[in-house]
Amino acid sequence: MRRALRWPALVAVLLVYPFVDRGLGLQTVHAVSDGMIYVLLALGLNIVVGYAGLLDLGYAAFFAIGAYAMGLLNSPLLGSPLYGHPWSFWLCIWLAAAMSALLGLAIGAPTLRVRGDYLAIITLGFGEIIPVAIRNLGDITLEIGGWRPIERLNLTGGENGVNPIGRPYLPGVPFETDPVPWYFLILVIGAASLWAMNRLRDSRLGRAWMAIREDETAADCTGVNPISTKLLAFALGASFSGFAGSVYAAKLQAITPGAFEFQVSIMLLCMVVLGGAGSLKGVILGGMLITIFDRVVLSQTTFFVRWIGRAVGVPALVSADLTLWRWFFFGLGLVLVMLLRPEGLAGRRVRPIVVGGDDLGDSHVEPAPAPRVDALPGWLRDRAARGGASATASILEVQGVTRRFGGVVALNEVDLVVPRGAIIGLIGPNGAGKTTFFNIVTGLIRPDAGRLVFEGASLAGLRPNAIVRRGIARTFQSIRLFPEMSVLENVLVGEHCRLGATVAGAVLRPPGVVAEELRARDRARELLAFIGLDGKAHDLARNLPYGDQRRLEIARALATEPRLLLLDEPTAGMNPRETETLTVLIGSLRRELDLTILLIEHDMEVVMGISDQITVLDYGVRIAEGSPAEIQRHPRVIEAYLGTGYEPEPHA
Amino acid sequence: MLELADVHTYYGNIRALRGVSLSVAPGEIVTLIGSNGAGKTTTLRTILGTVRPRRGSVTFNGHRLDTLATDRIVRLGVAQSPEGRRIFPRMTVLENLELGAFARPDRAAIAPDLERVFALFPRLAERTAQQGGTLSGGEQQMLAIGRALMARPTLLLLDEPSMGLAPILVETIFQIVQDINRQGTTILLVEQNARMALRVAHRGYVIQTGRIVLQAAAVELLRSDLVRKTYLGEK
Repeated sequence: MRRALRWPALVAVLLVYPFVDRGLGLQTVHAVSDGMIYVLLALGLNIVVGYAGLLDLGYAAFFAIGAYAMGLLNSPLLGSPLYGHPWSFWLCIWLAAAMSALLGLAIGAPTLRVRGDYLAIITLGFGEIIPVAIRNLGDITLEIGGWRPIERLNLTGGENGVNPIGRPYLPGVPFETDPVPWYFLILVIGAASLWAMNRLRDSRLGRAWMAIREDETAADCTGVNPISTKLLAFALGASFSGFAGSVYAAKLQAITPGAFEFQVSIMLLCMVVLGGAGSLKGVILGGMLITIFDRVVLSQTTFFVRWIGRAVGVPALVSADLTLWRWFFFGLGLVLVMLLRPEGLAGRRVRPIVVGGDDLGDSHVEPAPAPRVDALPGWLRDRAARGGASATASILEVQGVTRRFGGVVALNEVDLVVPRGAIIGLIGPNGAGKTTFFNIVTGLIRPDAGRLVFEGASLAGLRPNAIVRRGIARTFQSIRLFPEMSVLENVLVGEHCRLGATVAGAVLRPPGVVAEELRARDRARELLAFIGLDGKAHDLARNLPYGDQRRLEIARALATEPRLLLLDEPTAGMNPRETETLTVLIGSLRRELDLTILLIEHDMEVVMGISDQITVLDYGVRIAEGSPAEIQRHPRVIEAYLGTGYEPEPHA
Repeated sequence: MLELADVHTYYGNIRALRGVSLSVAPGEIVTLIGSNGAGKTTTLRTILGTVRPRRGSVTFNGHRLDTLATDRIVRLGVAQSPEGRRIFPRMTVLENLELGAFARPDRAAIAPDLERVFALFPRLAERTAQQGGTLSGGEQQMLAIGRALMARPTLLLLDEPSMGLAPILVETIFQIVQDINRQGTTILLVEQNARMALRVAHRGYVIQTGRIVLQAAAVELLRSDLVRKTYLGEK
């Protein structure tokens, strides 16, 4: 089918389906509507698991909160004096989403510093707590001394649940008797949610989620605040399940704690993984497949198997009930998908896809052309000019910085004053503490003692992303890009801390946000042109050759609009020609942008060629400081680092 | 000893190697030089079986490697120090080195080899109980080379052994390469530092976009215009 026709066709099918169903007497609208509720849940979970990469095994807890918010606020019969008057469905659905989002924050907050297995276990715990709490809040008595302010309060309906729950009221729409209005209501909520998620994904917030998923440390050092980013993922993911839960409760008219057990969390996770984590299309597919299979295929097949059993005369088949085997089939399906298509049914293929023939693919193997110093983006130049008014002569002052790891003193009272606009080389034997020094300046590790002052203000206690915002950017010795994001997206994450779109802005896209996003993309493209990667903007970062990855990391760092750039072995793994271009590039950054650069590098031609000053570390102690010429002759530097085989370049 | 004949290797649809043929004779140091993305690392991966060639053959002492599992290839006497170090970050330095000897039958000879590695890299001896992941980048590089040596291979594949090392250690590394070669290990060396590589190697191959474009004795390559301009950075 043609691409342009695909959407109208899909919409037409969705609109006509319930009437076709009625005409043919299929009676599948109920099952499909429930399926769409689960799809909505899975889409919310996809924000947490697929985008932000946070494994959540207790997601059904949010579903429960949404459903109970609706149940408690909109039930005419519940014994609580608070809830004597049911509120409108249309109000409750928003309250439910808000309640779920709040719970999302509450669960998110203590789990912020844990990842992977630990996070999974904690969310598993929350997933267990919520149904148990709901069961036991059906009979509350509070006793203080002899006084009982609360006596036998039934807050949640306990094991019996809440029944009945009020239905939505719209004049002339038969929500009580007909499944079709429900179908359309859920369709509208689902479509709106999908639309919002789609926009969120393509915004600075969506990129931040993915950056966190790819490499949290690198994201932090690129200006993405991992704490608020994760909290937002938890809260937004939860709010979608709040919608789903409240509609579910109202549609069923009754809820019990049993509907929100661990299995539900697992089933939702199966939907996400089966379809393809991170892919909206995939999650919809996975959710629909599993629900339809569960609700329609298994029961229909059971009839069929029994019919065969009767026809052939096999008693075992006559009494078979395939619905009892549903977890067997889920498990089997998951195992097969993971073996055959680990990225999910509609997920992005892990292996690169190159459209067209072999020769198109060649461009991916060849390294990109050299950086084009002449193409230095104008906006970076403007930024540099605007920020040039600062008065202090030194941009960074480091005093007495000490850091121990166990018994090893990695840095011992190191001082360093970095003059504005200088290139400072930092050299020393392997394990001397050079990278540790970078980690301290960028806030990745805290010094045990010492002071760091950047642009006249202390850096003490700042998180890496706050330091990036102040104007310090870095690259990593072992390249840390966001491998499953495109080259362009990597640079856009760099701009994250200079963009301002909020959730509302990202979803509603007012002109200001649209303009900001367009500008960000233009800037990113200019940066890529400058660094020589403009032909590869849409390649995945992981598919770039090594040297290109190094350059992309520099482009990402520049996108944060730094005043001070920390480069950790930028020419490692490059051949002499590539090294030379990169050296020219570093020089032009300083010259054209007035950028101050701290450089760790083992290629002496580079260090000696472009550094104004060189500081030498050995075993965490500064053993020398001086001009390249002085350092080359320094006996301790020769002994500890350069070796006797090193011949100073005559011109240096 | 090692023979690659018309090897084509793909990543998905991307052609990384387009008919690479090269040979390494026993006792040789052969170096493979080329730009980033030219196919050097892919060549080493193809030899070790971590990617499979779509066409062509890899033979090592009469065994076809291109259909053999990687652990079997290692047991035949091939070891590598991979690009990007790839050490075991949560295991100690000592455990990393011991794992290098995992496939060796001669358990008794392992202790002296451990001493040999510590003699080559005193820094590792200082840090035997430290987790590999807490080492600095250069120290991890030493560990990766040490781990490969612990396998006591007959053919050693070195992928950028000098990367991230201080100048004083770069000299040492190339000395080590020559030393272990004299002790009977054949070496295939991939290096960006083409000058140093060609100084220690007997022969060299130049690879460009997945094809071998030049092969000659190392001294001749050092004199060749192509190599001097492109890979030695001379004007």
